[in-house]
Amino acid sequence: MYRIENHPILHQFDKGQRVSFLLDGKEMEGFAGEPIAIALRNSGVLVHRYTAKRAEPRGIFCAIGRCNDCVMIVDGTPNVRTCVTPLQAGMNVETQYGIQSRGAAENND
Amino acid sequence: MIRYEVIVIGAGPAGLSAAIEAAAHGLQVLVFDENAKPGGQLFKQIHKFFGSKEHQARERGFRIGEKLLAEALGLGVKVILGAQVIGIFAHRQVTVMQGDHMEYYVGNSIIIATGATENVISFSGWTLPGVIGAGAAQTMMNIHGLRPGKKVLMVGSGNVGVVVGYQLIQAGCQIAAVIDGAPHIGGYGVHAAKIARMGVPFYLSHTILQAHGTKSVSGATIVEVDSFWQPVPGSEKNLDVDVICLAVGLSPLAELPRLAGCRMQDNPLKGGLVPVCNQYNETTVKDIYMAGDAAGIEEASSAMIQGRITGNAIAHQHGYIENTEFDQCHTKYQGALNQLRAGMFKRDSRKETGLRYTQEGYTLSKTLLTKGFLSTSELSVFPGIPTEVRRRQGVTPIIECTQNIPCNPCQDVCPKGCIKIGDKITNLPVMSASSCLGCGLCVASCPGQAIFLVDETYEDQFAAVTIPYELVPLPGEGSKGVACDRAGIPLGEAEVIHIRTTAYNDGTALLTMKVPIEWAMEARFFKPDHIGEGG
Ligand SMILES: Cc1cc2nc3c(=O)[nH]c(=O)nc-3n(C[C@H](O)[C@H](O)[C@H](O)COP(=O)(O)OP(=O)(O)OC[C@H]3O[C@@H](n4cnc5c(N)ncnc54)[C@H](O)[C@@H]3O)c2cc1C
Ligand code: SF4
Ligand code: SF4
Ligand code: FES
Repeated sequence: MYRIENHPILHQFDKGQRVSFLLDGKEMEGFAGEPIAIALRNSGVLVHRYTAKRAEPRGIFCAIGRCNDCVMIVDGTPNVRTCVTPLQAGMNVETQYGIQSRGAAENND
Repeated sequence: MIRYEVIVIGAGPAGLSAAIEAAAHGLQVLVFDENAKPGGQLFKQIHKFFGSKEHQARERGFRIGEKLLAEALGLGVKVILGAQVIGIFAHRQVTVMQGDHMEYYVGNSIIIATGATENVISFSGWTLPGVIGAGAAQTMMNIHGLRPGKKVLMVGSGNVGVVVGYQLIQAGCQIAAVIDGAPHIGGYGVHAAKIARMGVPFYLSHTILQAHGTKSVSGATIVEVDSFWQPVPGSEKNLDVDVICLAVGLSPLAELPRLAGCRMQDNPLKGGLVPVCNQYNETTVKDIYMAGDAAGIEEASSAMIQGRITGNAIAHQHGYIENTEFDQCHTKYQGALNQLRAGMFKRDSRKETGLRYTQEGYTLSKTLLTKGFLSTSELSVFPGIPTEVRRRQGVTPIIECTQNIPCNPCQDVCPKGCIKIGDKITNLPVMSASSCLGCGLCVASCPGQAIFLVDETYEDQFAAVTIPYELVPLPGEGSKGVACDRAGIPLGEAEVIHIRTTAYNDGTALLTMKVPIEWAMEARFFKPDHIGEGG
C-alpha cells in the first residue's frame, strides 16, 4: 500500500522473499530481511506499543534504532527495536503493553 | 586485545574520508559503525550535492558514499559493521558491542566521527505514531522504499526540511505545508523553489500547536507566532495530514569524547556541546581526534574535508609524511573548507543583514525568503537572466540562482564557457548566452534545479520551456498537462514536446513543454494531467 514501486532516482528496491508472519495472532505479509517496522507500516499498522503508565500509543520515530519508540515483543522477547530488526518468515510479533504482551498485561489486572 | 594504528568510530563521510587519508599514507586503519550499512547519512541523500568539483558537486549523495567505501576498502581499510562503540577508556582502549558480546581494541590514534542526532520539539500530541523525524522519513523512503504516509506536514524550513520535502514528493507523498517559527526560510532559496513551484505552501513565523488523533496522526493545527514566539490568537489553521515530519535541527553526537575526558564546550555555532579541538581536529586528550558533524554540525562536503584534515594530521604525527607534504595538504584542505563556509549561509553570519543583499549588492527577494519563489520582475536584475533582446534570438538559458551559496557545477559543465562564477564559488552565476548551444547540460547538472532553457522563437505565439524533471511517471512526448508558475499556480495547458534523458544527467530528465509565449518567463513546472490539484 505504501511501497514505492518505481522511484525516479532509485528505480526499484531490492527486496527479499515475500514471507508471512504473525501480528498479535493475525497473519501479515512482508519481505524477508526488511525491518519488521517497514512491513507493519506497509500494512497500515502504526501502533507498536502502549506506554506502561498512561497507555499512550507509540510507533516509528527515528527509524534507526535510537529512540526505542518502536519496540515490540518478537518471538517472546520484549523490547525488540522493530525498525532495525530484520523480518523473518513465521516471526511472532506482538504489540507491547508496558513491557509485556496484552494477555500478560490483562492477567495482572 | 587487538591493536590498530588508527581506529575510526563512524563510517559516514567524515569517518570514511579520515580512514582513506590515513590508509593512503600507509597507516593500518579499522572503522566501526553501529549500522548494518556503511556511509552514514550519505546513503539517504538521493539529491545532487552543492559545492565544486573537488567537493564532488552535482553527484548524488549515495553515489559519493559508494565511492568512498570502495576507495577505503581498496586501500585495505577494515570496516566492521553492526559494531557500536560504547566507550573509550585510558590508553585509548575502545569497548565495542558486536552483536551480543563485547570486544576490546586499542588504537594508537582514535578518530571520533559519530555524526549527529536529530533535535525534537514537543507539542500536544507529539508522541503519536505518525510524528517522525526527517531522518526517519528518508530512511523509510530512500533505504526501504516505503512512503511514510500520504500527506505530510514538514516542520522546519532548513535545507533538511526542504530537501526531505522534495524527496517525499519524489516518493509519491503530498506535502500539505512547510512551516518554520523563524521569519525566513532557513534553507537555500533554490531548494525551497523546487517545492514551491510544485505548489507547496510555506508558512513562516508559524509553529505547530497540536497533532490530532487517538492512535495515530489524523491532522495538525498550526499557528502563527509573533516575534516573541507567542501564538497569535485566531491564526490557527487545521491541516489534513497523516504524517508530521520534524526537521528542526541536528545536534553533535559527542558522548564518546565526553566520556573519554576531552574538554567540552557548549558552542551554539556548532550546534551544541562539542569537544574543544585544535586546527588539526585533535581534542584536549592526546591522540583522540574528531571529524564531521560530531565536532560541529555542517554538511557532508565539509565532513569529508574535515576527515581528510584529521587523517593527514595523524599520518604526520606518526611520521608517515614529511613536514612539507603535510603542510601542503593541510593548506589545500583548509582552503577547500573555507570555500564551503563562505557565502550568506555561513555559520557565523546568518544575521538579518546577510539576508538583505547579495555579496554583489543585489537586493535579495523577500518572497524567496518567505514563500520560496521570486517574481519575474525581481529576477530580471540578476546576472543569470539574459536580456529580452537575447531571448528573442533563440534558445536561452535562464539562471534563477540569486543567493550566495557555495556551488559552481553550472560553470563547470558548460562546454562553451557561457556561465561565469569565478574563483569564489559563492559568487552568483553570470550568464553570457552568445555562444550557447542549448545543450541543457547546465539545466541537468544544477543541484538547485535553478536553470531553465527558454525559446521564444519556437513557434508563432508559442515558446518552448525546458525544465529539469525528476518525478515518475515521466510524461511522454505529446502528452498534455498543466504549466505552473514559480508559486505552483496553474497557468493553463501545456504540451510536452521533448524529453531528454542521459546517463550523464543521472536521473534528471530535461522536459521541454510548449506554452503560449506570454508564459515563457513564468512557466517553471509541468504537472501531468493525471496528478490531482495541490502539493
Ligand atoms: C536531509 C539531509 C540533507 C542533506 N543534504 C546535504 C547536502 O546536500 N550536501 C551536504 O554536504 N550535506 C548534506 N547533509 C548533511 C550530511 O548528511 C551530514 O553533514 C554528514 O553526513 C555528516 O557526516 P558525518 O560522517 O560526520 O556523520 P554521519 O553521516 O552521521 O555518520 C556517522 C556514523 O557514525 C555511526 N555511529 C554513531 N555513533 C556510533 C557509535 N557509538 N559506534 C559506532 N558507530 C557510530 C553512525 O551509525 C553513522 O553511520 C544533509 C543532511 C540531511 C539530514
Ligand atoms: S545550454 Fe549548454 S552551452 Fe548553453 S549555457 Fe547551458 S551548458 Fe552552456
Ligand atoms: S545555478 Fe549554478 S551555482 Fe546556482 S545552484 Fe545551480 S549549479 Fe549551483
Ligand atoms: S523508531 Fe526509534 S528505535 Fe525504532
